[in-house]
Amino acid sequence: MPDGSFSHPQQRQFNPYSDNGGTILAIAGADFTVIAGDTRQSEGYSIQTRYAPKVFRLTDRAVLAVNGFAADGNMFVKKVKQRLEWYRHAHAKDMPLRAIARLIQTMLYAQRFFPYYVYNILGGIEEDGSGAVYSFDPVGSYEREACRAAGAAQSLVQPFLDNQIYFKNQAAAPNQSHPAHLPLPDVLSIVIDSFTSATERHIEVGDGLEIYVVLAKGRSAQGLEGARGIQELSTKSDGDRVFVIRRELKKD
Amino acid sequence: MAAASVYTPAGFDFSNEVRNSFLTERGIPLPKATSTGTTIVGCLFKDGIVLGADTRATEGPIVADKNCEKIHYISESIRCCGAGTAADTEFTTALISSNIELHALTTGRKPRVVTAMTMLKQMLFQYQGQIGAALVLGGVDATGPHLFTIHPHGSTDKLPYVTMGSGSLAAMAVFENGWRPNMERAEALELVTAAVSAGIFNDLGSGSNVDACVITATHTEMLRNFVKPNERVQKERSYTFRRGTTKFKKEDIRSLVVSEDVIHTGEAMDTS
Amino acid sequence: MHAFAERFSTNGAAAELRRAKEILGEDDDVSDVMWGSSGGFGSLVNGVPKFAVPSVPDPTSFLRMHTDDHADPSCRIKIKHGTTTLAFRFKGGVIVAVDSRATAGSYVASGTVKKVIEINPYLLGTMAGGAADCQYWETYLGIQCRLHELRNRERISVAAASKYLSNLVYSYKGMGLSMGTMICGWDKTGPAIFYVDSDGTRLKGDLFSVGSGSTFAYGVLDQGYRWDLTDEEAQELGRRSIYAAGHRDAFSGNTINLYHVKEDGWKFIGNYDISEMHYNGPGGADGYGYDVRVQGRTSANPPPEAAAAQA
Repeated sequence: MPDGSFSHPQQRQFNPYSDNGGTILAIAGADFTVIAGDTRQSEGYSIQTRYAPKVFRLTDRAVLAVNGFAADGNMFVKKVKQRLEWYRHAHAKDMPLRAIARLIQTMLYAQRFFPYYVYNILGGIEEDGSGAVYSFDPVGSYEREACRAAGAAQSLVQPFLDNQIYFKNQAAAPNQSHPAHLPLPDVLSIVIDSFTSATERHIEVGDGLEIYVVLAKGRSAQGLEGARGIQELSTKSDGDRVFVIRRELKKD
Repeated sequence: MAAASVYTPAGFDFSNEVRNSFLTERGIPLPKATSTGTTIVGCLFKDGIVLGADTRATEGPIVADKNCEKIHYISESIRCCGAGTAADTEFTTALISSNIELHALTTGRKPRVVTAMTMLKQMLFQYQGQIGAALVLGGVDATGPHLFTIHPHGSTDKLPYVTMGSGSLAAMAVFENGWRPNMERAEALELVTAAVSAGIFNDLGSGSNVDACVITATHTEMLRNFVKPNERVQKERSYTFRRGTTKFKKEDIRSLVVSEDVIHTGEAMDTS
Repeated sequence: MHAFAERFSTNGAAAELRRAKEILGEDDDVSDVMWGSSGGFGSLVNGVPKFAVPSVPDPTSFLRMHTDDHADPSCRIKIKHGTTTLAFRFKGGVIVAVDSRATAGSYVASGTVKKVIEINPYLLGTMAGGAADCQYWETYLGIQCRLHELRNRERISVAAASKYLSNLVYSYKGMGLSMGTMICGWDKTGPAIFYVDSDGTRLKGDLFSVGSGSTFAYGVLDQGYRWDLTDEEAQELGRRSIYAAGHRDAFSGNTINLYHVKEDGWKFIGNYDISEMHYNGPGGADGYGYDVRVQGRTSANPPPEAAAAQA
């Protein structure tokens, strides 16, 4: 009605979600973990920004990658960081990785009836010094794994990781067995190749790549010194250490 | 009673239309057709027309073809860029190309751009938008250079610079900023390249390389992969597999060599 | 007003208070129990935790609109589903066997899911339906079982534990929880299994199988079940049943996890790859697949006489 009066009740669909594309991935090694994500944020056929980080350092031994709806993701990371800071004030230490994983479960499940549209992958070093990856669904079911890809190109990247990390569909050479963990340089090149390939074939992946590397306490930075564009983010040099490597991806 | 359909009419078969729309209603969507998400452009310059296109074809969010051709041949001095459903643009332009050739042979004259435009719009209108072809038609004929856009429902525009496809806004921004009347060939080509590049980099449906086509009264030059700003990058590792990587259940080696014993009987043929 | 309905209603005194809190900027999910050593679970001690609900007239249909991948395959939030789980009671205790596949739509989201949830050393829960619902509420049940031990100086019975869970999910009936679980354990009464689901059903029984592959598992299970199975026979029956489901059900597969509950608590027997079971079997000698047993007799690979007759 043109005069602005409403004779009929109007009902609208409440749709607070949107999909911002992109892909994240994490691989655990024996004494390190690599967590990576592209930096493109898109909606439909438009690029909102070519640099929106999806991977965040939580502590010196924990890194969280979030993918899905960017607004939910950023808010979720903010709330996780806040809870970790409170923990630090109460206990004068960083929360252990497995505890962060459980914290994320309870925080996601608190939104069971109004979910965060976010796929989380938590990577880092456990208290025993081993590399670990935890992957979550949007309402908090989680599992510790050796590797996981999530997001737009999940179905392109995960089969590749299954083949290269878990050696699925690859018979070992006679009288040999597949290694349980790959060395850091191999993992880094598999991560980079995953993203260059995903960029080739998925329209929502590209622009930039951020690779976080978490090294266990006492492990030398061997395998990293050759990396281009590397930066250390750790607060102290005698504990677990966090590095970030930034790379360009194709922009079309 | 009408006889069973022995006679198959020419053109499209719509017999599954009712069933498919029923299935779509029940939540079973049609399989995705390859679409050319696309940036296609065309612009007028001093001596003729420059057409431009990207080379990405998509199936939903997946890149189906990284280097497809979107500038289709209509006649020697008429070309047509296609956006929308890949199969529709391909077959529509091919059909019109054939008809234009026949028309040229019948009339004994070089075909005109308006003729092609009219044939295209009449066909698209007849099918009420069911043929998902959005076209940029350009060429030079006896009456001079002409540039048209044709929408899937059959409407047309005649303009000095045009863009279509999902990257049309990005490309049009470049044209609105840079187009002037009576540009030189090199200037026009540069502008078209910039417009298509804007689509390639800012529209997710467009990507890979720039194809261009310069049409003048005397000569048509197809510049396939005119600019390649998105070359594939070198992989960090090589992924070759050791012989014997794939497990198998049984091995069965068959001999394909047929051995034959030739036994001579009787006498040799008299060949004298 | 029913306490639960009040908590989620959009009108009435409770809702007014909630709105007032929102306006004042008091964040609901950061109560002071989350401070200090109580960490994340502090709130659980005070009863059922609080859940955020969208301010729409019908929160359940809102949730369904965004998460039900069966009705709408293009929905954004895909919750993991698909499963085969089984448990049965016999002379030697309880056998619990599950597969390890999680699917989101037609995508195999994971092949390494732990669908047996170790509630405490005497209680196991199985996971079918929403992975998060089962994981979260069975962990929560574990906390409540420990509190029962501390309060009453004795272990909780399987009946009581399962009833706690069943009452809890019943209070959320219609809100969209999805679980089909078996609470298995050993208490004063001996071995016990209770089936509990999100509709509020709670059944005591000797033999259950839950999930999309349950029909296949029941086929093998019913055929081989006896009360006086030996431990080895019982474990083999559980393993063989999950294999059957993994083989025939597209939404089940990858690996088998096998548990045995005895008087002194549960024991993890092992993890078995289903395709390994198909070709080589648990002993590595002969597989569960029938290819080995029909060698040279199938239509694709006929015996020599038949092949000769055909040619």
